[in-house]
Amino acid sequence: MDVALSTNGRRVMRVFFALVLLFLYAPIAILVVFSFNKASVPTFPLSGFTLHWYHEFLTNSDMQAALETSAIVAAISSAVAVALGILASIGLSRSRFRGRGLVTTLVLVPLVVPLIVLGISLLLLFHQLGIQLSILTIVIGHVVISLPYTVLVLMPRLERIDTSLAEAAYDLGAGPLTTFGRVTLPLILPAVVSAFLIAFTTSFDEYAVASFLAGSRQTFPIFLYSALRFPSQLPQVIAVAVVVLSLTILVIVGVEVWQRRAEARLEAA
Amino acid sequence: MGRGEGRLKRALRPSLATPGLLGLPIGWLAVFFLAPIGIVAAYSFNALALPPSTPGFTLSAWHAFLHSSVYLGLFWKSVEMSLIVSALVVVVAFPLAYYLALSGAKRKYVLLLVLIAPFLTSYLLRVLAWKVILGNQGVINTFLVWIGLQAHGHALSFLLYSRFAVMLVLGYVWLPFVALPIFVTLESLDRGLLEAASDLYASRAQAFLRVTLPLSLPGVFAAFLFVFIPTVGEFVTPSLVGGTSGYMYGNQIVDLFETGFPDWETGATLSLFLIGVIAVLTLVFVRFLRAGEARAA
Repeated sequence: MDVALSTNGRRVMRVFFALVLLFLYAPIAILVVFSFNKASVPTFPLSGFTLHWYHEFLTNSDMQAALETSAIVAAISSAVAVALGILASIGLSRSRFRGRGLVTTLVLVPLVVPLIVLGISLLLLFHQLGIQLSILTIVIGHVVISLPYTVLVLMPRLERIDTSLAEAAYDLGAGPLTTFGRVTLPLILPAVVSAFLIAFTTSFDEYAVASFLAGSRQTFPIFLYSALRFPSQLPQVIAVAVVVLSLTILVIVGVEVWQRRAEARLEAA
Repeated sequence: MGRGEGRLKRALRPSLATPGLLGLPIGWLAVFFLAPIGIVAAYSFNALALPPSTPGFTLSAWHAFLHSSVYLGLFWKSVEMSLIVSALVVVVAFPLAYYLALSGAKRKYVLLLVLIAPFLTSYLLRVLAWKVILGNQGVINTFLVWIGLQAHGHALSFLLYSRFAVMLVLGYVWLPFVALPIFVTLESLDRGLLEAASDLYASRAQAFLRVTLPLSLPGVFAAFLFVFIPTVGEFVTPSLVGGTSGYMYGNQIVDLFETGFPDWETGATLSLFLIGVIAVLTLVFVRFLRAGEARAA
């Protein structure tokens, strides 16, 4: 007999699983349906098919500027977060030193600090230092948010690498940089890529901290948030929503598949 | 190169490399994470102050906060809302994770990814979906009118801008994520233990209550905290779908900082109190995990 679930239990679970998926995906499906709906308010009955809202959004310069700002912020902040994450993970995984536990805690603790507090505390810091809010201040906030995620992704991968490989490189006369570039980095590359993507999507979607730290240029979530308060913009926003949702799902699935293959190849090698 | 030299290099390496590697990340977090929280603390004790008030250490903001029925009332309201949301979400996610991890479902990783995928998409857009669905002119109400179940002008107005809406949306947003920590714990469970229980004539229910459930508790508590911590300080969802009755502690903090009459001293006090509560909860959880590990060893 199966010790976890009876045959009937399994049937019930299958139905329950399907119902939860319905609950999770129905709202997203509704957005997709209404993005092609002619009426300017999302109400039943549906009033006919149109691509008008997609066209509108392609010509909305505010929205495009916001998307561009978010892309810049996300690219810079995730590059910095991954770089710092690599340094921290190598430092923490390669050696046992006094205070290692403390440093690990420091690196991971931003995970449990509410975003509202992170945002406000940085706002106060920049106010104290007399620094103008700009793209750069958002980048700084997003690095603090993403750094723990990058470490969580990189550490397990680094700990599985055979340390004798790096030691062999040292023994053959390679310096620390050459060893990193030629031995360590290729071995952790899949983890580096997923750390980058997690940091990128986190930043691209982040509203709470950005809302405190944005200067005159708004990011895409800030744009979305204000658009949500004006119903006239709703249909366009729904169209963008569908585009962004489809793109993210595509990227997630693509990366997942790529990562599986790359890891399998590295394990085999 | 001789063996001795290699060994010498190896011995020297960590001590030289570690400070260089860790210096940047530690420095970054010291300046952009620890120092800012120090500044929040300074404002809450009025060691720093927004002009025209003059700085000078005082506990008056803390005194006012701890004796204020408004702020503490809001805090308890937020705690209650997010306790209910976290508990419900864990209760729904547990059977899903259990089914995926233990019943030998085919393609369990694909199913897990399908379950989690909504969490990886935009937060604001998922809130937007519910705004479209719940509004007076929204999908549910116009649908009910359309099929004749409801008269025109009698919309179910409690759906949007209510405490209910905030909790529904928060639950919707966090549900996919919660399944993950529970799945990981159940997945790493030694199946031999379950088989042993079964060999000793334990029923499925007994095996679940005496073996699976106790061993999965760390994952369950982790999942619970992962939802509770961000939702208790939440301000985005309540400001979009909560109206006045869904107003939470986080909204109060934002208003203290961003309205025409900012009160940074009080706002900083509310923020610091929130971190304090969460720090205590996290420490208790870590203690619980350590105790569990010690028992297992």
